[in-house]
Amino acid sequence: MKCRPPLPFLQLAGLASLLLASLLAGCQPPPPAAPPAAAPAQMTHLPLSGNPACSGSFVPHRLEFTTGTRLREIGTYISNGAGVAANDLDQDGLLDLVFASVDGDSSILWNEGGLEFTPQPLPARFTRAVSTVDADGDGWTDLFFTHRGRAGVSFWHNQGPAAERPHFEPHPLTGVDSYAYAMAWGDSDGDGRLDLVTGSYGAELTQHGVAANDPQAGVHLHLQQEDGWQTQVLSPNAETLSLAFLDLTGDGHPEIWAANDFGLEDHVWTRQENRWQTADLFAQTSYSTMTIEWGDIANNGQLTLFTTDMNPYDIRPRTLAAWLPTVTQLTAQKRADDIQVMANVLLTRASDGRWHDQATRQGVDASGWSWAARYGDLDQDGLLDLYVVNGMIAADLFGHLPNAELVEENQAYRNQGQHFTPAPEWQLGSTASGRGMIMADLDNDGDLDIAVNNLRSFAQLHENQLCSGASLQVELQWLSSQNRNAIGAQLLLTTNVGTLRRDVRASGGYLSGDPTRLHFGFPTGTTLQRLDIYWPDGTLSSFEHPPEHGLLRVTR
Amino acid sequence: MTHSTLTSPSLLDLPRLFPLLSLLHPRQHTRLVLASLGVGLLVSYTAVALGVLPLWAATALVLAILLPAGLLKWHDDRRRYGTTAMTLSILVTAQGLHTVEHLVQWTQYHLFYLTMRQSNGLLSPANSEWVHFVWNWLVLAAVALLLRGGMRGSWIWLLLAVALFHAVEHTYTFVRYQIILRELTAMDVLNVTAQGLPGIVGRDGWLARSEWTRGTWICSLPGLTTAVRLDIHFWWNIIEMTLLLVAGHRHLRRHPLDLPTS
Repeated sequence: MKCRPPLPFLQLAGLASLLLASLLAGCQPPPPAAPPAAAPAQMTHLPLSGNPACSGSFVPHRLEFTTGTRLREIGTYISNGAGVAANDLDQDGLLDLVFASVDGDSSILWNEGGLEFTPQPLPARFTRAVSTVDADGDGWTDLFFTHRGRAGVSFWHNQGPAAERPHFEPHPLTGVDSYAYAMAWGDSDGDGRLDLVTGSYGAELTQHGVAANDPQAGVHLHLQQEDGWQTQVLSPNAETLSLAFLDLTGDGHPEIWAANDFGLEDHVWTRQENRWQTADLFAQTSYSTMTIEWGDIANNGQLTLFTTDMNPYDIRPRTLAAWLPTVTQLTAQKRADDIQVMANVLLTRASDGRWHDQATRQGVDASGWSWAARYGDLDQDGLLDLYVVNGMIAADLFGHLPNAELVEENQAYRNQGQHFTPAPEWQLGSTASGRGMIMADLDNDGDLDIAVNNLRSFAQLHENQLCSGASLQVELQWLSSQNRNAIGAQLLLTTNVGTLRRDVRASGGYLSGDPTRLHFGFPTGTTLQRLDIYWPDGTLSSFEHPPEHGLLRVTR
Repeated sequence: MTHSTLTSPSLLDLPRLFPLLSLLHPRQHTRLVLASLGVGLLVSYTAVALGVLPLWAATALVLAILLPAGLLKWHDDRRRYGTTAMTLSILVTAQGLHTVEHLVQWTQYHLFYLTMRQSNGLLSPANSEWVHFVWNWLVLAAVALLLRGGMRGSWIWLLLAVALFHAVEHTYTFVRYQIILRELTAMDVLNVTAQGLPGIVGRDGWLARSEWTRGTWICSLPGLTTAVRLDIHFWWNIIEMTLLLVAGHRHLRRHPLDLPTS
């Protein structure tokens, strides 16, 4: 009997793959905008004094701060930990650290140089998120905290130098009385003042006896006015773990994005005709969105969003056995139009204007029980890398594991241009239970170090000793504005290897506060052609041939 | 070759157009089959309604009550048409029922929006891993018997390849199921099932999460590395059933049954 020829599976698979690739490559550049008005600004070049040590990897250092160690047992939602922020609080040129604490005082770690820190407890107690931002425009960076349970935002005003250090005084935020778990800062209405958006965490509020319809719960936008704060409710329902102000529609104005835990979908609000309206922009989101991060990972002018969720980073039987008893408790009823997936999501904007998931294709869909994730050019090759901290401690979820702890290794991913690959050679796989995390040059040697607020173990500083590439750091000072650090400004550094994009933020990642000093990494020998600064008021300052190292302070 | 293959059957002559229908027909056992089905459904429904039996046990009971009628029918198939035809008859019937099981799961998940763990079908709540592991090796053995018995053609070989890969997939999930159960037992976790975890293909499967494929286009191949296990196995069974029907049809058209005159 004559056999029929085999079906052309390979050819069909090849054609299908080509078709898929062409569909996925359908992203378009942003629409052309009217040329912005020029904003005169001065540039001051400051050399960096740090001497880099070069071991070819990151080196962990213990920081004198712990949270979660005063409690005999960790349960949900103490388990969610707290954040960390970095900024130059005393204006000595070194970035200081501020740690929030779920079970005690918060703490400032004053940077003495050479990675030496002096801790100073701050009587801001039972804190969650922390931001370091000069919200009142007096030239000194203030501290803002959200708190555990039924509490709002606390404001610690930087009084300026008293003896050797600035002194912080608690001040009321009149008009801001919403329950807050996460917060974000930005000039939402373009009036030159920084506004605050807060989100509550319904599951924890329920533990504290707060009714679901409590008017203080939800996502609230607090507009800073001449004489105080005016609040408007964006949503009465919130399980918000992370918030962001960023331009998701490409119209030059920021949207507000609230990332929610559990089955409550993430929400985006866009401002149209002076009203905030919900927008449907995502084709996929994480199920329990822990953090929001964004950056231009391909140096093509397009943002790529990243959110974290719970998804084991390997599928070994032992790993799955550790997760299974908990996962079976978490799985909820599906909905017909549910766009949520229990995995990290990496969103790129497609030609239809919506954001589509590429996490699996990029190799970053699973990084464990993930909390903070940050982009940063760790190896200074001109491409933003990714670091995710993870782990979980909760007696009511992981009672089957020793110390009720899911021990995981933090995940570092090197950006290869087309996708991310794990970078174990960087030795960033700490097994401490990380929650909040920031990237900043903490030893003034030009590269990005990493500070992590761990739950139930000492905070860590991972010193960058990769010693590859070069960098330029940039700080903005907008003296004529109440938004002194130009939160929301976009910076484009044009080089002969591509255009690098950064933006100034006051808050970011999970419960954490970003430094207003921006880091541009690039390969050694790169020619820097131009630095464009798009200020939050839409004006532009450009500098030809900026210096190729050190710190650049731009004053407007 | 008999005379019947040389004449063109009319459009209404379904048994001649689709000889599988003749093979599957219970013939003189029709009443027994219908009666068994009726009794089985009635007893099972009552048992489930009264809470005496879980759904999977009630399903198993229906199948058990149907089995004597099936054995008589298949014995008759063997007597009339030979061992290969009987094997084909058994396989098509059983694989058809198995496909129904997957169709129920698919409906539970996609139409009733149950979770993956809740979308268990009718019989699989007993133990999804054991059911599918045993079943798919039996299917593979039956396909091998069909080949040994003289069924030929590209469709049956394709079916053998798909059934083999399907059996390997379920062996992979079954072995991992056993290892994870051991891990859970070591942690003193005795009330958690390790069933329904991803296998080689599908979302979070070995192919999607392997170090060798990480970050490549293979990890986002629609369906193959993105579909959830329930969908993967639904389509796998649909494909197997389709191949089986086509292979059986072509075989019976080439080697007709001795059809009774109407």
